[in-house]
Amino acid sequence: MQSNADTAVIGLEVRPRVLLVDDDQVNLMLTAAALRERGFEVVEADSGERALELLEQRPTDVLVLDAVMPGRDGFEVCRTLRATEGLEHLPVLMLTGLDDNESINRAFEAGASDFFAKSQQWSLLAGRLHYLLRAARTRQELERSKAKLARAQDLARMGSFDWRSQGSGTGPGSFSLSPEGLRVFGLPNAALVSLRQLLRMVPGAERHGLMRILRDVMNTASVLTTDVPVTLRDGRSRIVHAEAEPEYNEHGQCVGYAGIVQDVTDRRIAEDRIRHLANFDALTGLPNRRQLIWRAERALDAARRIGHQVALLMIDVDRFKVINDTLGHAAGDDLLVEVARRLRSCVRHSDQVMEGALESIGSRSHRTLEAVGRLGGDEFVALLPEVGGEQDAERVADRMLESMRDPIFVGGQECFVTGSVGIALFPRDGASVADLLRNSDVAMYSVKSAGRNALALYTPHLSGRGREKLELESALHKAIERNELVLHYQPKIDVRSARMVGVEALMRWQRGGTLVPPGDFIPLAEETGLIIPLSEWALREAARQAKVWSLSFGFADSVAVNLPNRLFERSDLVEHIHQAVSTYGVPHRSIQLEITETGLMRDLQNVIPSLHRLNEIGVEISIDDFGTGYSSLAYLTTLPISEVKIDRSFVRDLGITPQSSAVVTAIIALARSLGLRVIAEGVENLRQMEVLHRLGCGVMQGFLFSRPIPPDDLETWLKTTVLPRRAPWIGQANALEVSENQRRLSPGAVA
Amino acid sequence: MKSHAAPAAHPVVESRLDRATLDEAALARLGELDPAGATGLVARVLKTYSLSLERLVDDFEQARAEGRHDVLRRVAHTLKSSSASVGATEFAALCVQVEAATHAPQTPESSALLDALLLESQRVARAVQARLATG
Repeated sequence: MQSNADTAVIGLEVRPRVLLVDDDQVNLMLTAAALRERGFEVVEADSGERALELLEQRPTDVLVLDAVMPGRDGFEVCRTLRATEGLEHLPVLMLTGLDDNESINRAFEAGASDFFAKSQQWSLLAGRLHYLLRAARTRQELERSKAKLARAQDLARMGSFDWRSQGSGTGPGSFSLSPEGLRVFGLPNAALVSLRQLLRMVPGAERHGLMRILRDVMNTASVLTTDVPVTLRDGRSRIVHAEAEPEYNEHGQCVGYAGIVQDVTDRRIAEDRIRHLANFDALTGLPNRRQLIWRAERALDAARRIGHQVALLMIDVDRFKVINDTLGHAAGDDLLVEVARRLRSCVRHSDQVMEGALESIGSRSHRTLEAVGRLGGDEFVALLPEVGGEQDAERVADRMLESMRDPIFVGGQECFVTGSVGIALFPRDGASVADLLRNSDVAMYSVKSAGRNALALYTPHLSGRGREKLELESALHKAIERNELVLHYQPKIDVRSARMVGVEALMRWQRGGTLVPPGDFIPLAEETGLIIPLSEWALREAARQAKVWSLSFGFADSVAVNLPNRLFERSDLVEHIHQAVSTYGVPHRSIQLEITETGLMRDLQNVIPSLHRLNEIGVEISIDDFGTGYSSLAYLTTLPISEVKIDRSFVRDLGITPQSSAVVTAIIALARSLGLRVIAEGVENLRQMEVLHRLGCGVMQGFLFSRPIPPDDLETWLKTTVLPRRAPWIGQANALEVSENQRRLSPGAVA
Repeated sequence: MKSHAAPAAHPVVESRLDRATLDEAALARLGELDPAGATGLVARVLKTYSLSLERLVDDFEQARAEGRHDVLRRVAHTLKSSSASVGATEFAALCVQVEAATHAPQTPESSALLDALLLESQRVARAVQARLATG
């Protein structure tokens, strides 16, 4: 034997490895020699047993096998290796006797790849072997790409199927599903499954629909593409996408379908999730504005078709902002979730709409549109797709108001909330969803302004007020650029010296020919956020005015500007003030800031850093409406404030109720102990002035001295009233001064 | 060689008396597998053939005595192709006939065909030996 180990290379090709099996030594020797001469690497075996041994030991590309041998003959060897893993596809050339038809047939039955009649025509034999090897390589590549496809299908949870119709009948034909396809349906590998069995995995209701689709597709020999819900044997629900194309025979008749099945459950879950996110509010899980409008439009369609009424209820949680501000956003969110739950329980809320059924005539499926949705913030909407009249809607609204009355436990405490509900009916109050939304909103606002915690039906009369408000809002937006805003000033007076010691700037809106009082537009500005640019404008304007006055009459006091607390939260407030005073070349102390006690307390921790920085650059802080807040006054010791302003409500009652003077006395004592200035506002008569002065408060402002006046009038006022010392309060002040001095001088007086 | 002629009674054998026992053309084809004679292929093949011929003829005679058709068939089958390879054309033809005859229902062991095969085998064996001696 020659060495078969050295795998010689001819050109780039490796010599094909042949295992040659023949019990006839002579033939073995000759054939081996012939094949070696033709570039094959040959291993010889003289029996079937030996051949099987060698096949296990060494890699073989092709087997040349004598058919008739003692012991295990070629047929048996062939059958054996076809049943052996890894050898099932080994190319086998069976050597038979010339004209030995029986052997030829048996060779194929045993799984031989080809046969060769024994002869001395070695070139033919070599050619046959090369052909077999090439076929094997092609087959291998095919197997490999099939495996790749299978792997790819497996990764994509995809498998293929093949269905052949039985003749022309509609009965079940042959059906086969690839192993990957079986996996899609959760079936074991190599399981035999019929189309009928697969269809049985589809839940009843969907199965009928699917059967209809299949029939339609087959009748028209069209392409099938559909998603089918299935329940696997282990109970899991999956969604399977099926896609198939018709197959035709040579006569152009459709004989079946070939296609793929794919598990698209994950994709569908993701799609559903996206659809859910797009249509439902993330916090409460209720339909969002978009979904609600969609439903409302479907409901109006149905109502137009059938001729009934639709109700839209706008529900707003009363004073939600206060709850949010005092308990924090997290508690606010919890509250909204609970309110959502309660509102939802007041209607026949459906999360899912039976979309397909909506169009069908005579169907009552529009009722599945009924829902409570969240428009945003604390605004909810209920859609009642069919009501008999306003009484129906009112009944639901009543139920909602009632449901909100039980305390809600959030942020570690019980909250009592109420709601305001506005109702609009289709077609009476609007022909479109937009109209109904707007008008139910108008009705809801009318409840708010009438004191909240109630319901109201829309009436055209309400609409006028709503429109007014809208117009006001848009006009306010333009007020700054149109220079319609002005500051009026009210002097602060030190009554002891009868001098002006500063002014408070108050915003006015010169709108057309009328002057809009702050009470009519400041709340709206607060609501819309316009208060920020408005306040910034006020700061600039105050600085400018301080400069004008300092030039015209040597004004060296400060202008007090009222700021909402949210402006204190802005990190750029200090920078903003710095810019305002720098622009006009006035000192920082020309600007004083007033913040209300309640505003300050609402967000103390966020406001304090600003207060400190303002104080550092010389901007004084005054606490407005002092005494109206409910909180402990101890915090005052920690705050960098300069002045407290006694609220006008206490001043008004001075000399009338003893309580008011007690409060004022306490405030003054407190301010003194903290080293703060005290100023009283709303002083309207001499009696109030006298009492305040007696209690120890010498700085005041109010109508007694001057109304808030335009800047140009201030100089006139000073010239005509203060300097000539002509006003009645000046005489009184002088008298007080005298008696005060006498009191101080008397031995019994308290220092 | 004529001294080894088959009995005149057998026409099949009679007709071959004048032919060469080993076909030169076949032997030349063998030589082509080893053109330079580097591996001494022809000699090795003939040696192997004569050994297997001797062994198989023994098997054949024994099987004939025991009436074992299957062994007769196998021997004829094996000798058929290897004999053709070494150019023992007549002998190969006899093997074909015997192999075919073993498929027939009646017993072939007493037939002249088997005798002819054995007789020819002796001629072939001698021819091979002679070839080996001269080669």
